[in-house]
Amino acid sequence: MRDYIYDGTFDGFLNCVYHHYYTEHANGIFTKDRYQANLLCGYTEVETDVEKADRVYRAIEEKISDYDLRCVYRAFLSSIPNKEMIILKYIVYGFCKGRQVSSLHADSIVNDFQAILKKVSAEAERMLQFVRFSVMEGNILYAEVEPEHDVLELIHTHFCDRFRNEPFIIRDVGRDKAMIAYQRHWYISAFDDGMVPVLSGEEEEYRRLWKTFFDNIAIKERKNLRCQRQFMPQRYWKHLTEMTQLPDSD
Amino acid sequence: MEEQIMQKLKILAESAKYDVSCSSSGASRHNNGRMGNAHAAGICHSWGADGRCISLLKVLFTNKCEYDCEYCVNRRSNDFPRAAFEPDELARLTIEFYRRNYIEGLFLSSAVEISPDHTAEKILECLELLRYKYGFVGYIHAKIIPGVSPEILHKIGLVADRLSVNIELPSSKSLSQLAPQKKPKQIFAPMRQITNTLIEHNSLVGPGTMFKGQKLNTSEHYLGKRPVGFGEDASWFDKGQSESTRFSGSSLPEMWAPEEEYLPAPKRGAFAAAGQTTQMIIGAGGESDKSILTTSENLYHAFKMKRVYYSAYIPTVASPKLPDIHTPVPLAREHRIYQADWLLRFYGFTVSELFQDGSTDLDPDLDPKVTWAIRNLDYFPVEINKASYEQLMRVPGIGDRSAKRIIRQRRYSAVRFDDLKKIGVVVKRAKYFILCCGRYYGDRKFEPELIRHSMLQMENGLQMSMFGADGSLQLGTAEGSSATLTDRPATRALPKKTEKSTTTTQPKHPKKSTTAAHRKEAAV
Ligand code: SF4
Repeated sequence: MRDYIYDGTFDGFLNCVYHHYYTEHANGIFTKDRYQANLLCGYTEVETDVEKADRVYRAIEEKISDYDLRCVYRAFLSSIPNKEMIILKYIVYGFCKGRQVSSLHADSIVNDFQAILKKVSAEAERMLQFVRFSVMEGNILYAEVEPEHDVLELIHTHFCDRFRNEPFIIRDVGRDKAMIAYQRHWYISAFDDGMVPVLSGEEEEYRRLWKTFFDNIAIKERKNLRCQRQFMPQRYWKHLTEMTQLPDSD
Repeated sequence: MEEQIMQKLKILAESAKYDVSCSSSGASRHNNGRMGNAHAAGICHSWGADGRCISLLKVLFTNKCEYDCEYCVNRRSNDFPRAAFEPDELARLTIEFYRRNYIEGLFLSSAVEISPDHTAEKILECLELLRYKYGFVGYIHAKIIPGVSPEILHKIGLVADRLSVNIELPSSKSLSQLAPQKKPKQIFAPMRQITNTLIEHNSLVGPGTMFKGQKLNTSEHYLGKRPVGFGEDASWFDKGQSESTRFSGSSLPEMWAPEEEYLPAPKRGAFAAAGQTTQMIIGAGGESDKSILTTSENLYHAFKMKRVYYSAYIPTVASPKLPDIHTPVPLAREHRIYQADWLLRFYGFTVSELFQDGSTDLDPDLDPKVTWAIRNLDYFPVEINKASYEQLMRVPGIGDRSAKRIIRQRRYSAVRFDDLKKIGVVVKRAKYFILCCGRYYGDRKFEPELIRHSMLQMENGLQMSMFGADGSLQLGTAEGSSATLTDRPATRALPKKTEKSTTTTQPKHPKKSTTAAHRKEAAV
């Protein structure tokens, strides 16, 4: 048994899976910044070898299923601290059970894995709900988000289709990157404060209109803030136009 | 300029807020225009301070009303600020909100300004601008005003995803008392027209899983002129289909004959792809739960509506014909009715099953599915590893998702009791009604009174734990009713304490316990 340290990329992780089989079973898999030396077993820094990653990638696709391959990738996007081992166990189990593995909901390995998956999917879904664009000069749509999991690339299909004629930027503030898209093409790139476009003249007005609507559509006899908070967790409020204080019009 | 729109938006949102539906579900479409698409499951974008989901820009086109419906804030005789949008103004506002990802689309309703057709034409103009001038591909739900002409209705249907005609009241008696200018015929004629047009377009789907596997887009389901709708009308489905509803040359609805000539070959999904819905007010007239739900069942069977929405009556205007202005809003009742409605649409229940013991109101203390189960203990316990999907769906604590998971998993290995929780079954409820590998896991004997007692405690515990500091609280959806993002009673606020009978194990309806006792004897 040994600990593996990898570079945090998906390919790097697949290399750990490779070494789990061909070198020595993994005791734990960590990124460097999260690793605390363990006296009981040694550690290896895994080099990210694209070919090895590819072999594991294809093995998952062929021996388990391409559905599970996609799930593995999705689960990997989560920020759960011990996600690597949960995913590894699922892959190992999948190699024994084949494509039925995803139906074995009662198994704790499967259950743990699907629990992460659910978190990632739920967050991606929330992005479709809670992204708020501002219209910037030049009609660019610009949004800031701070998702807990790294879901930016899971939402491109939806937004690229919906706003196919508008250039748009969705920036993940916490991860210093952004999805930049126009006419169904998109890429993810590093992004910082200096790159934010200028607000268009009408933007403040529409924010106020939206807030007016929001404040007037609630029925006061049915006030239920607890329910509101349950569906719209507070950690998203910062970037929700309707939940922030807007400056008065002048 | 801005001030003026702000003012209108304020008034016309305020006036529209009592409309319940905000669902953006049922249409699935890629961006084939300039901007937008539609998600089959619908997307909620925000939640208001009342905990209700905000998915669509919900406004009235105008709140200047010729009518005088007793229960409505916009009634002519009410002193209330009035406003009306211009078609282009509202279309632009929708687009601007949409591109900021505030909303999924527009939910446009209206008061009756000048006449139903006058208002409907304005609405049509607005929607056509939105679709054709702005190339909007997002969701549109248009409310149809009773009495509108078939031609305009048809044109609105061609640009909208969902249409709804509000029935508002569950019987013709309260309709004539409370909304004297609206006639049953004016409500049911457009409903019928919508259903028939959906059949012509081969896109009638029906509510929930009620008609799963059945062909609905056939001449048999075409509706003739017989008025069907209210629960009091001869029950539609009990008697099978009556003569007049069958399709035959002579009974073809007359109003449709001329239309068909200029209709282009019907394209699937071109007309109100997300179907039709309606809304009923709970607690304005004197109807029982049973008569409300019977009307819903009729609407589901006759018009194959996607959904009936319910809205607890909020006294906004004083009137001798209405409940006193201080009457508490019947939120708990609305909640139970929603639960029962789910049972109709997704769980294969009928109204007569729910009121089998002769009662006319739902048990306020228990989920209607639990009530049914306790009254029908001879149906239980069911063996998890053998029961059919339909049988599993009748078990309290098991919903569509968990039933399907059970069935999937048992293909590979037997489902053990410990697995149920991971599968998503609400074990503390379900355990009284199931066997797992031949064993019964309920912590008491299989006896009606004991089970009812445990269920009551559970329900009260659940509700108590959900009380917020403000005394209002919230309960999720009807148990197990895993549904799409928006297409569910997402935000049923719950029972104020005062409205509920306090914790008691005494059956509310004495009849029930005798029924239960009978069963017990029969079972032994
Ligand atoms: S028609 Fe009746 S319900 Fe509709 S806005 Fe006018 S008064 Fe209100």
